[in-house]
Amino acid sequence: MGQLGKSHMIETVVWSLIAVIFFGYTFEFNQPIEIYKFGATGWPRVIILLLMLVTLGNLYHHFKNGSAVQKGRVGIAETDDSQTDYGNPATLAKIIAILFTPFLFAWLLKPVGMYSGAPFFIAAVIWLFGERRWQWILAITLLIYAILLGLFVVTLNAPLPQGNVSPFYDFSGFILKMNTQLQQLW
Amino acid sequence: MLENFLAGTGALFGDPFTIAIFVFGVVGGMLFGAIPGVSMLTLAAILLPFTADLEPAQGVMLFAVIYCTGTYGGAITAILFNIPGAPENAPTAFDGYPMTRKGQSGKAVGAAVLCSAIGGVASALVMMAATEPLANWAIRNIGPPEIFALVFFGLAVASSVGGRTIWKGWMSVLLGLLIATIGQDPVGGINRYNFGFTDLAAGIAFVPAILGFFAVSEIFVQAEKKATGQFDAPKVGMSFPTVLELWMHKFAVLRSILVGFFCGILPGIGATLAAFMGYGEAVRWSKNKEEFGKGKLEGVISSETANNAATGAAMIPLLALGLPGGALTAMMVAVFQMHDLEPGPLVFYNSPDLIWIVFAAMFYANLSILFIGLIETKTILYLLKIPFQFLAPLILLLATIGAYISRGLVLDVMVMFGAGILGFLLRRTGYSIPGIVLGLILGKIGEQNFAQGMQMVHYDLGTYFSRPICSILIAAGALTLAAGVYRAFASSSHKA
Repeated sequence: MGQLGKSHMIETVVWSLIAVIFFGYTFEFNQPIEIYKFGATGWPRVIILLLMLVTLGNLYHHFKNGSAVQKGRVGIAETDDSQTDYGNPATLAKIIAILFTPFLFAWLLKPVGMYSGAPFFIAAVIWLFGERRWQWILAITLLIYAILLGLFVVTLNAPLPQGNVSPFYDFSGFILKMNTQLQQLW
Repeated sequence: MLENFLAGTGALFGDPFTIAIFVFGVVGGMLFGAIPGVSMLTLAAILLPFTADLEPAQGVMLFAVIYCTGTYGGAITAILFNIPGAPENAPTAFDGYPMTRKGQSGKAVGAAVLCSAIGGVASALVMMAATEPLANWAIRNIGPPEIFALVFFGLAVASSVGGRTIWKGWMSVLLGLLIATIGQDPVGGINRYNFGFTDLAAGIAFVPAILGFFAVSEIFVQAEKKATGQFDAPKVGMSFPTVLELWMHKFAVLRSILVGFFCGILPGIGATLAAFMGYGEAVRWSKNKEEFGKGKLEGVISSETANNAATGAAMIPLLALGLPGGALTAMMVAVFQMHDLEPGPLVFYNSPDLIWIVFAAMFYANLSILFIGLIETKTILYLLKIPFQFLAPLILLLATIGAYISRGLVLDVMVMFGAGILGFLLRRTGYSIPGIVLGLILGKIGEQNFAQGMQMVHYDLGTYFSRPICSILIAAGALTLAAGVYRAFASSSHKA
């Protein structure tokens, strides 16, 4: 097995799956284009073929060298981040929470809106990054929220998601009404 | 030319409101470029509707100024936080961020300021002198086959920098190309890979993907370091590069100006490829290749000179042919159209005042990078002193707004965070994020020009390669790839 490890096999399987899924999906849009011989599938299929070849090359590199950095590469970190120790389950849970909290925030943007969701999101991120002093969490949350309102709402009138569920939608309406009144003062 | 330039300068500085717009563009571009999480594109997207109330020259000038100063501003976040403000600043992070880790942030940012100004001013001067003849040359000699060949060469260069191995460099570029196939195909308009989401018919938007891969994934990387106790706050360094240090890199600056200008002049390519090729050429010609990526000043100098040298050149296809070279120049086309104007050869005859106000504004904007940039840099460096747990939510929130604002779609925010998670996982396993982003940006351009080129030559590859510029670029790209394969196998056999 050379220097192949379990992670290398998983990596190869994941890339192969991507290639297979994307290749399989090309049959969904495999229609001829009258003015172009190679059709809509020609370009993606060539990319997928090249991806499969390069994946095999990557597997060969792992077989010969394991996870070692190839000599002469530029623009990369010297350290191997994949070797980070996740011995403590709490650490792993924290990383997963950090990865998915923004995704949850994005998913909630449509119903809750930016104006209602942002303060909770800011506070959650500060907490997840390890800050435990609640006075600091509160103060920085308010400061960032004020920057958001001052720059994007008052100064630039940028259209932000307002939410579509009460009372979040009503709160967004209240903020925008306040902004309109503020603009009329000038 | 001098007469026209002075007339443009007079028109620019003769009206207080136009001056105010110029100053707003200079400061706004630098600021939005330098705030991690948003970029000059965010500012441009927000300002686009407001330009309808401005004079056409003021609107176009504002965007041109934002383009110049924002391209520089993005270098600051690349150097300080490893978050390039725009794709064209990605190679700047290769050496700029390691310099910050070594406490040389001031030196890296100082070099970026100076080289952005030099590249930008040189480009603006050539643009003023040569827009019409260069446009005529481009019309005659540059067609879809040449543009495809340049995309091929650029991607070959991108795959050779970044990524722990050449294989991972290529896989990154190919992943970017694969993501770029999502949405309608550029020839027949057939929907590809929309997976049932109608919003995906327009494809993956660049801005959310770029923010996700660069800004969000970097936040996740830092979060992981915090959680595992490996976080090491970057050191603030206020020492600027000496004149001697910069003089030692004069050939790198000259080479990057040429590379930047050549890439910028070609429609659809823009500053991103210029920065990658400027960096790639610096590595290729260097005697100490192994020092690149570890905090070498020449890496920052090459990338920043090249991307700003491309800004002036990018105006040539835009103004002379009506072809935008990137996202921001595409928005400039929208500014023209809002005022019932079409960029193209006729603009030179119908609106010469507009052209020369824009040229003069770009020249002065690049000069102002030198003065305002140096003052701003000292302030921006203090951002490094803010604890990361307070900076992270601000960056994530600004990125959310930046992703949402261009199309008003929550899907774009989800794409951004999805790209952030994907970018985080790929970075951990040694893939090249700039490679993915370049593949994503150049994928559609490459496909479209390949298809048009093949139709032009009736699918005859002999005719395709008989075009001199095209064959030189294809050969250069093929040699770059072959050298990569040779090195990959040579390193494997040495180990074995």
